[in-house]
Amino acid sequence: MSASPARRFAALSGLAVAAALAVWWLGSTRLAIDRGADAGRTSEDVLQVAWLVRALVVPTLAVRVAALAGWRAGAGAALAMVVPAWPVLVLAWAASAAPLWQVVLAEGLLVGAALVLPMVGRGLRRALPRGDAVEPVATAVGIVLAAAAWIAHDRWTFPYTF
Amino acid sequence: MSSLPALSISDAVARRLLLLGVALCCLSQANAAPRVELTAAPAWKGWTRPGRTTEIDVRLSADSAVRASLDVVAARQSTDSTVELQPGRVARLQIAVGSAASVDVEARAPSAPPVRRGVSLALSESPLLGVAVASDERVALDGFHALALAADDLPRNGSAYASVDALIVDATTLAALDHRQLAALVTYAADCGRLVLMNIDQRVRRLLDDAGGCGGRFMMQAKSLAEATSMLTASLATSLPAALSPSSIGELARPSPAAWNAVAVSLAVYFAAAVLALVFIPSLPAIVLTSALAIVGTLALLQGMYPRSQLIVWSEGESGTQLARYQAVQRFPGLVRERVRVPLPPQLGAAAQSCEPGQTMHYEVDVTSGRATFAEFETRLFRQVTLCYSGSFPMQRTIAVDARADGSRSVRNAGTRAWPRGALLAGGVARDLPALGPGAATVIDARSGGSAGDSALRTAQTRTRSDSTAALWSLDLAGVAGAPIDSTGWLLVSVAPPR
Repeated sequence: MSASPARRFAALSGLAVAAALAVWWLGSTRLAIDRGADAGRTSEDVLQVAWLVRALVVPTLAVRVAALAGWRAGAGAALAMVVPAWPVLVLAWAASAAPLWQVVLAEGLLVGAALVLPMVGRGLRRALPRGDAVEPVATAVGIVLAAAAWIAHDRWTFPYTF
Repeated sequence: MSSLPALSISDAVARRLLLLGVALCCLSQANAAPRVELTAAPAWKGWTRPGRTTEIDVRLSADSAVRASLDVVAARQSTDSTVELQPGRVARLQIAVGSAASVDVEARAPSAPPVRRGVSLALSESPLLGVAVASDERVALDGFHALALAADDLPRNGSAYASVDALIVDATTLAALDHRQLAALVTYAADCGRLVLMNIDQRVRRLLDDAGGCGGRFMMQAKSLAEATSMLTASLATSLPAALSPSSIGELARPSPAAWNAVAVSLAVYFAAAVLALVFIPSLPAIVLTSALAIVGTLALLQGMYPRSQLIVWSEGESGTQLARYQAVQRFPGLVRERVRVPLPPQLGAAAQSCEPGQTMHYEVDVTSGRATFAEFETRLFRQVTLCYSGSFPMQRTIAVDARADGSRSVRNAGTRAWPRGALLAGGVARDLPALGPGAATVIDARSGGSAGDSALRTAQTRTRSDSTAALWSLDLAGVAGAPIDSTGWLLVSVAPPR
């Protein structure tokens, strides 16, 4: 997999995730406004789900792409997955009661993961003697890391503990 | 060598002089600080009920002319006022507060330490009966907790009457009330409060007869406490007309979707731009730049929008009576996370309170008028902070309705003021009611009826008994000073069924 198609695929996925979140958020806030209810709770849910979805995709994408095309490609693809949701997240934060530092910290963790996890992929590429084993092993490692993120989120409910 | 001790002595003297100077300076500072005296006493002898409004009577004085600020905090609601204190004069303020186990009152003056007082409130689960009579006779009303009150225990804010469920006042106490207490009592009577007036003279009786809301059904007159008690007991068989809830009033007019539309459009533009950027410039900087521009653009759009508040008024009265009760809701839509300070309509500010008890709200109270002038609260995007108002206003609508044999109804304006166009509600059906001048009549055809189309008509029908007739008009709120442009209101006037 070359860097450019991987990044384009990741950016499209990021946009698709952001669009789905935007549709959900806009729909539920409109219902809340019409009913005179508070749109804050839905916005907090959107923030939490947006973080969780990207936290599951970023490890898989970053490790696999980096294993196949290098650290720069992996980091680029992972960041292209993370960044498109930011406009939706800023609006959801503006409608929620979540503290700014929590949102910034959560996004910082994702960006950090997008920059660090490709190193795991690059390490796998160097460590594995057989070239055809790199892709499945990197994918498996990415899935394991995603599962770890899911379990950690489930147990710790980080970063949004409203 | 001889000069050294001389130097040492002068140094010591200088130090002492310096210390004396500092001491004198501190002493003069201490003398300059005004001494502020603060006392706080609750209305109704400290009794109220959960979720109701009561009042704290605050007395402030100082030994020198000073501008003091007074903060009153009860649960999540706080008020502040600025008082110009003059030596030898006691400033009195009556602040309406929500029910809370304790209320904190604090006075601050420049260069003086803050003075704090705590006021404990007793929250009664039983209904409260206020007995403001000169005699020491005890009163018992089944299920009620009776409070023996003096004239000064009665509040000066009409909204504070929410704390009691029934009240007995005799002529002696009535005569001892000041004009603000009398105005609050009249507001209570106009708001259909259960009130028994004892031994009042004809002149006062005539004045108060016109003040009673709900056709005066809940304002009674008695000659003794025993009679007052039996009248209240009989009155309890008739329940007070339930006020329309804030959420029901809110349903009468939809919130403006302007902010939501702006956000939806800006997100749509962002996604379109992001897809185009991905097609033509598939680089990471382009993706980041598109996101950043979208964030800046959307926030700038929201900052540039002016959130307009919305006032919705629902009022009810009875044909031929002088007063209509109203409940109003004012919505303040939020656009960004910020603390906002909004002016309150002067005619409504006296009874302003947050519709949501959990909402943290800060009011600025004008000392001279005793009403809230500004409200301050935290808001955020799509948040609708609502303030509730209630009270009464003079009304002149007298409707004469005659049912005819063919099912039609003859409707006559029996009052002295013309009516605008409205709707007649009878038998569960709403019909158009044309504008009628004084004394003019019209016949409403039985076949012209239709189901209630809008939310105001539906609400009016739920508030009208199936066997009675009522008329619904839109209210012209142009005369309400400070009312927002987006204001709507209705007046529902019921016609008592023929006896």
